[in-house]
Amino acid sequence: MTADSHPGAQALRRDPTDGWLGGVCAGIALRYGVDRALVRLAFVVATTAGGLGVALYALGWLVIPAGPGAGRRRLPTGRGAVEVALGTGLLLLSVLLTFRALGIWFSDAIVWPLVLIASGGALIWRGSGSPATAPAQAEAPTAALLKKETEQPRREPGRTAAAISRTGIGIALVVAAGFAFLQATGALSAARDVLLAVIAVVVVLGVIFAPWVLRLVRSLTAERSERIRSQERAEVAAHLHDSVLQTLALVQRSDDPQEVAALARRQERELRAWLSGRPPAGQAARLAAALEAAAADVEERHGVPVEVVVVGDRNLDANAEAVVAATREAMTNAAKFGGGSPVDVYAESDDGQLHVFVRDRGPGFDPDALPADRRGVRESIVGRMRRHGGRAQITSSPASGTEVELELPARPDR
Amino acid sequence: MRAAKPDIPALVAGLALLALGGLLLAHSLGVVELSFALVAPVACAATGAILLANGLGRGG
Repeated sequence: MTADSHPGAQALRRDPTDGWLGGVCAGIALRYGVDRALVRLAFVVATTAGGLGVALYALGWLVIPAGPGAGRRRLPTGRGAVEVALGTGLLLLSVLLTFRALGIWFSDAIVWPLVLIASGGALIWRGSGSPATAPAQAEAPTAALLKKETEQPRREPGRTAAAISRTGIGIALVVAAGFAFLQATGALSAARDVLLAVIAVVVVLGVIFAPWVLRLVRSLTAERSERIRSQERAEVAAHLHDSVLQTLALVQRSDDPQEVAALARRQERELRAWLSGRPPAGQAARLAAALEAAAADVEERHGVPVEVVVVGDRNLDANAEAVVAATREAMTNAAKFGGGSPVDVYAESDDGQLHVFVRDRGPGFDPDALPADRRGVRESIVGRMRRHGGRAQITSSPASGTEVELELPARPDR
Repeated sequence: MRAAKPDIPALVAGLALLALGGLLLAHSLGVVELSFALVAPVACAATGAILLANGLGRGG
């Protein structure tokens, strides 16, 4: 019996682990499901046309981000990235000029516009593909859950401006390529008449369809806002369930006034920190330490031994924090409903991926038969993992207890 | 005693300048006849190599 959720589709990435040079051909073949040899052959054939294949490959190498299997070396950013891009462009230009001087050349009217289109297309692609948003709450503290645990991207003006600039330069290059091609082939004057006709048609169609387009845009915006609000509500509900409701349940079961007071004080401190956006006191900055702290807390609250094994480690960004929170909930459930059996936790962090298994030897349950008002599994584990791009799978049977598997894939831009 | 780590961008820039100087010297001695079609790709390659080495040297 299982309950799971699934991450999104795979984006275009280079695959250096399976490539000859930068893994551009392998990445394209993998993304579009064609044979690598065919893609490589296409680049070789393009290379015979004045070295165009080399230029395209180099641009692909520069523009397409590497997949998760790539090494940890990353291209420089900022001024370094500009220098690398200019240097690569000049080297490619020198190759093209050499081919041209040697007579291995197709046609100026074809090759130079194609080079411009390839450069402009690469910039447009980069501008649209690179997140104009911050890399989803990376390295953020736990506390500001209201803002940071949602999927709503945080916009940074500098990054947005850079993306718009790249896109603008790319569009200008492509348009210039079109004009250069038309000029070289003598078709510019004829194209001018066509362009005027196209502009007239676009204006007419724009006037006719503008109200529908505007309505559609507003509808999409409203839908997006509602989705974000819904995710925020779910995150708040999951947090309150994991903290306040769990504490209240413990308070109801406790007969010791001092223990009740201690629970209340601890919960008050945690809730105040969460509401004010501060990280809770003593919060760990690394995954292993956070998991061990969560296990110790569950052990202390419920009196059930929790054994934690962590292989590999990583910084505790917002997504890893969500995994820790889901793991804590799974540990709490195992401690509460596992019949007093020890709880085993195994976590593995490797190359950006994160796997956690929480297992108990209790009586088990049917995940599909959970009542709708029980939010622990549904929202605090499965829903939380799905909202952070991960997956949760719960396997349970009376004979072998319950196992909760949490999987967080590597972020593409990491 | 460990040898100092070479400055790759400076090394590439020096080699590129050496190559350009050699080419100009060969032209002065009449060994080769320089033209724009020959100088342009060499100049582009030299500048590109320097920029690339400098950019990659900044790290990521």
